[in-house]
Amino acid sequence: MIQVEGLRKQYGDFQAVKGISFTAEPGAIFGLLGPNGAGKSTTIGCISGLLEPSAGRVTVMGHDVVGDGPASRRELGIVPQEIAVYEDLSARENLAYWGAAYGLRGAALRARVDAILEQVGLSDRAKGAVKKFSGGMKRRLNFGCGIVHEPRVLLLDEPTVGVDPQSRVHLLDHVRALAASGACVLYTTHYLEEAEVLCDRLAIVDEGVIIAMGTLAELRAQLGEKDLLRLGGRFDGEAALGALAALPGLEIVQADAETLTLAVAGATGRLPEIFRVLEGAGCEVRETTLRQPSLESLFIKLTGKELRE
Amino acid sequence: MGFIWITALKDLRRFWRQPLTLAVWVGIPLMVGVLMISLFGGREGPRPQAYVLVADEDDSFLSGALVGMLSQEAAGDYVRAERVTREVGRARIEKGDGTALLIIPAGFGEAVLREDSCTLRLITNPSQVILPRIVEEGLSIVADGSFYAHRLVGEDLRRFADGPPGGANVFADSTVAEFSVRVNRLSDRLAHYLNPPLITMEDAPPPEEDAETESVTTNAGMIFLPTLLFMALLFMAQGLGNEYWEEDRLNTLRRVLVSPRGVPAFVGAKLLAAFALMLCVSLIALAAGYAYLRLDWSTLPPVLLWAGCAGTALTTLFTLLQLFAASQRAAHILGMSLLFPLMFLGGSFFPVEVMPDWMAAVTRWTPNGWALMWFKRIMLAEAGPGPLAAAFAALLAGTLVLAIICGWRLRRRFARG
Repeated sequence: MIQVEGLRKQYGDFQAVKGISFTAEPGAIFGLLGPNGAGKSTTIGCISGLLEPSAGRVTVMGHDVVGDGPASRRELGIVPQEIAVYEDLSARENLAYWGAAYGLRGAALRARVDAILEQVGLSDRAKGAVKKFSGGMKRRLNFGCGIVHEPRVLLLDEPTVGVDPQSRVHLLDHVRALAASGACVLYTTHYLEEAEVLCDRLAIVDEGVIIAMGTLAELRAQLGEKDLLRLGGRFDGEAALGALAALPGLEIVQADAETLTLAVAGATGRLPEIFRVLEGAGCEVRETTLRQPSLESLFIKLTGKELRE
Repeated sequence: MGFIWITALKDLRRFWRQPLTLAVWVGIPLMVGVLMISLFGGREGPRPQAYVLVADEDDSFLSGALVGMLSQEAAGDYVRAERVTREVGRARIEKGDGTALLIIPAGFGEAVLREDSCTLRLITNPSQVILPRIVEEGLSIVADGSFYAHRLVGEDLRRFADGPPGGANVFADSTVAEFSVRVNRLSDRLAHYLNPPLITMEDAPPPEEDAETESVTTNAGMIFLPTLLFMALLFMAQGLGNEYWEEDRLNTLRRVLVSPRGVPAFVGAKLLAAFALMLCVSLIALAAGYAYLRLDWSTLPPVLLWAGCAGTALTTLFTLLQLFAASQRAAHILGMSLLFPLMFLGGSFFPVEVMPDWMAAVTRWTPNGWALMWFKRIMLAEAGPGPLAAAFAALLAGTLVLAIICGWRLRRRFARG
């Protein structure tokens, strides 16, 4: 279990994490979702003990990461965003080294290395130098190095960045299997679809704070059953916004001179009405995007910006 | 201890699979060494000898004596003469076969006896510098000898040149006896000046210097072996000092930093790997050096241990410096900016023995210079057990302090943000 309470991390005047709190339970996948620079990796860094929190408390399986660092780190397995393996060594040597780094020895180590090689599909390339591997193979090995010691808590920091679709499916299956076996998995990503299909609970992070948290169903409920309508064009004058606000079942999420984002129940049927109001207010619509309720639309609703912006 | 051992083995395995890097670390000093020894002279080989071709066109008793004088007794160690014709001699000198061609013209013997002018022609090989000068000096001494002989017994010499008087075939016994007696008495009179010579030349050892000064070794190999070994150790230390940056480049450093054993064990493992590598390279270099220079093998174990420890200490020094850099590239530049001054000032490029006094004094205060000084003392069995133990203790303590600071800096630089 991971417990994060009021976590803050400050670099000089810049606050990367501004009081994050959440709990990730064993046997489940907890997702940290947010754009690049939201504070996800800093949070992972604090949980892993790589970074020292400026304030707040983090425990891993009951061990305080600051006060009882070695014990908390023993419980952890980490799959970093970047490929972190020794290119001059073979796949087997890499796995054996990282297994040994967490205390595995002898026959137990060999058995685990063999099992992981099998799991990540590298048994036939076990003795080959990693520098000759393809990017996808390195990613799979990177994942294997993080789980070779069978950690009870697994931190996965955007592990599918740059992974081919086939390897991604393979990898996500492994993550599900690990959670099913009782491991506590903390998974960060900025791929919404991945979070939707993988995570049991989610926290949406932006600019160092959690802006929404819960199961996928709970988060969707926050959005309601409204579609997200994004309009591009020329929108000036308070009159347009006033006229739109008067329409029932419509919520203005974001507005500026060139874009307008609206949360609308049954948006498809109400498009003519919305266009008419805008036209009457002297606005010009050049582009229309309609989204069904999703994490993406929730994120836009909560922050007024797209996840990949 | 298990993690330290496993990590060190992992690093050694990585280094082994980068043969080019290892070749550069060891190859550059080896190349410099070969050049330096070629420049300054290596182990004593056969003494260089002037090879003089003599075209004796006089073929007299005196011309024969001149050729004999050039290559007899002590002069024979330096000069070897061979009689040739003028044409053969010229052809061989043209081909560079010989130091010089000496042409003794007809009438040479007569001219010497009468103290008339006579020209000996010496054609030297332009590709040689020292040996032709030795031959020239030798001939000049012979000419001086002829001049002084005429001052002392010139009249008798001229009489002999005229031949027996009155159409006789040989000189009268009394004339020969009278000449012999005169030469004998003359020798007796001059013996005071000539034997023993008023000016003697002898090899003298250099003056005794204070205890801090290393023993001066005259053999070029003895001088260059420690210099080159420490140059290799410096190159390796600089390269190994970049290891944390290399781990950072591979992204493995963060993974290590969040493993249960953390920074102290990792730094310890890196030092162990550096020590093992330094020990291997030193063993190869020293075994070759000891065999070549016929050194006392009993000093090899402590010398080897010292080289390994000194190399490890230098590695921690370079590591610490490079950990203050902002990037791997900057770290490399920082490492190089320390490497070359240490190499030149610390007696690891130019041996201390050929340095001017002020520079040799500076050498003692550089870390590699200090280690090099002790290395030579151990190699020449000049260090007593007490001072040697103190030097080892100082070296290990210095390494430990540097390693602790490295660990602190490593965590500040790459973790804790």
